Amino acid sequence: MNTIIHSQGMEEALSGLLRKYSISEPQDFRLTQPYSSTGLSLLPGYSLIGASITENQIPLLTWRLKRKFIELKKIVQDSVIENVRMFRFSSMGSKDEWEWPWLLYREMDLCEFIGNGKIVSLNAVISDNKAGNAILRLDNNIICSIEISTQMPSGTDLVDRHEIIAQRGVASDLVVDTMIPQDSIYTYTDKGEQRYRDVDEELFGFKEFQIDHIRSAFQVLKQGELVQEWQAQHKRLVNFIKSAFESEKERKKITFN
Amino acid sequence: MKPIKIAMLSLTHGHTRKYYQTLKENPKLEWLAVFAESEQVRDVFLKANYDIPCYLDEQEMYEKHLDIEAVVMASANNKHLQQFRECAKRGIHVLSMKIPSFDMDEYAEIEELVEKAGIVCQVELEMHYNPVVTRLNQIVSEGDLGKIRSVNATNITLSPVWAFPWQGIPEESYGKRVPLCTGDKRFRGGSLSDHPHVFDLIRWLTNSEFDYVYAEAGANIRPDIEVEDTLLINGKMKNGTNFLFDPSWSRLEERLEIPGPGWEIYPKRMEVNVNISGEKGALLADCFGPNVYHNGIPNDRYTVQYTYFDEWIGMMDEFVDCIRNKKTPKINLKWHRATIEAMNACYESIALGKIVYL
Repeated sequence: MNTIIHSQGMEEALSGLLRKYSISEPQDFRLTQPYSSTGLSLLPGYSLIGASITENQIPLLTWRLKRKFIELKKIVQDSVIENVRMFRFSSMGSKDEWEWPWLLYREMDLCEFIGNGKIVSLNAVISDNKAGNAILRLDNNIICSIEISTQMPSGTDLVDRHEIIAQRGVASDLVVDTMIPQDSIYTYTDKGEQRYRDVDEELFGFKEFQIDHIRSAFQVLKQGELVQEWQAQHKRLVNFIKSAFESEKERKKITFN
Repeated sequence: MKPIKIAMLSLTHGHTRKYYQTLKENPKLEWLAVFAESEQVRDVFLKANYDIPCYLDEQEMYEKHLDIEAVVMASANNKHLQQFRECAKRGIHVLSMKIPSFDMDEYAEIEELVEKAGIVCQVELEMHYNPVVTRLNQIVSEGDLGKIRSVNATNITLSPVWAFPWQGIPEESYGKRVPLCTGDKRFRGGSLSDHPHVFDLIRWLTNSEFDYVYAEAGANIRPDIEVEDTLLINGKMKNGTNFLFDPSWSRLEERLEIPGPGWEIYPKRMEVNVNISGEKGALLADCFGPNVYHNGIPNDRYTVQYTYFDEWIGMMDEFVDCIRNKKTPKINLKWHRATIEAMNACYESIALGKIVYL
């Protein structure tokens, strides 16, 4: 699973960044399970969906430090596209790396993060906890569709799409006329086609989700006020996940105050 | 480690603003001052709200900040020699822009100044700190592609001449007014002078030097500038690798005086793409992709919004390390000399209409 690999290297990389930028380093911290009993546990929020959070457990909204989402948020925030009306998000992962609620957690947070609004309603349809979708509305009246699947074959990278439709302009993390994310390097050798996407020189060698994890841990340690903010957001997202299943079961739209 | 006390000179180079965030955020650097070459340049800097003392007189800046240890020489190419003389006299380390000088006598003088003063001079070739290039180099050195047979590399951009006018003035970009070739009204100093990366990259990837080059300039996309804006180059390295380069300003731009949103007409304002054919396979790389995309303000045009640009972090880390630990930068003047010589050979090839050996 995403949360249980390469812990030592990631922790060393985080320590390196903290030293480089003169940020105080906690005496004891873990980026992966099992949790540290005495120190900080800095884990992606979705992996804590079923757990009760202690004050030493910081659910990380790792995708918020991903550059493509930072840029999409800037495009909305700086009104490069004006009067956003609709999001079309999609996220398809493999079942050995992702659980369906994890991806929903991530995408719902991205709706609020990029859209700068709060979810006020949702209606979800889900099949066997493996594939489904949700329609959400934010308090700034943006409507959002989220398509989630964990039916991709083992070893497949996450295939996602984030399209933002506004009164003036559209923004997306996919190139026009394509359906899947592009990579930076493609090689064609006896090993077949291989793809590489490297986005961070300071953390070169880590996979993208590991980079997001390390960067988000660095950010909460640098910017202490994020701890409470992300803990509170985690509770909301967990509640939305429950509501999504309730919506499926009851076949009704759920609204939030 | 004690932070390096650093200043910026001139602020007229196209990469100037890319340094601001790194100079401000890197705890190994203490940004003391800037020298702006004109009131207009100063006003643009002040609008960025960095709260750093800004001088219109270079000497005044040095006199008021006697503790400056290093500078980013963000100036036009024809200003470099004089600024190097001043830095060498004061024992100040230099992060030089991509072209210290095209005049090889001047280049030799700069090398001598640096050597005698015992200062660090690192040349800004930021692609060395780009994660895609790091991966590219790793794949090549691990031998997955076998021996490299052929490289096709682009360094294509819009033209910066409207925002950074010196890049369109032959004396300021090339150092003197040299016609491209007999009967041509244009002069050296355009897009070729702006794009050394591919020349540097192939030396690094193949561990070989240039054998010969052939270059041909096309008619200008912008007929109203007096330097070249399209050209193609091919040739061979000494180890037999052949290459094709496109270092053109072939992406049109709005003629903005200050770069900003809506600068590009073509969606992607800058690309460095590399195709490699080796004995065991092939590789395609986009050093600045993928990104995010929009068709928003100000012109409602489809536009690439870059998600990369942390090259300056690694580059400044190396600069600091070299100063504090008395190391030689990867891209030092001696290494870079062969890149400048190859670029000059391309201009010569355009003038002669034939292959030029190095």
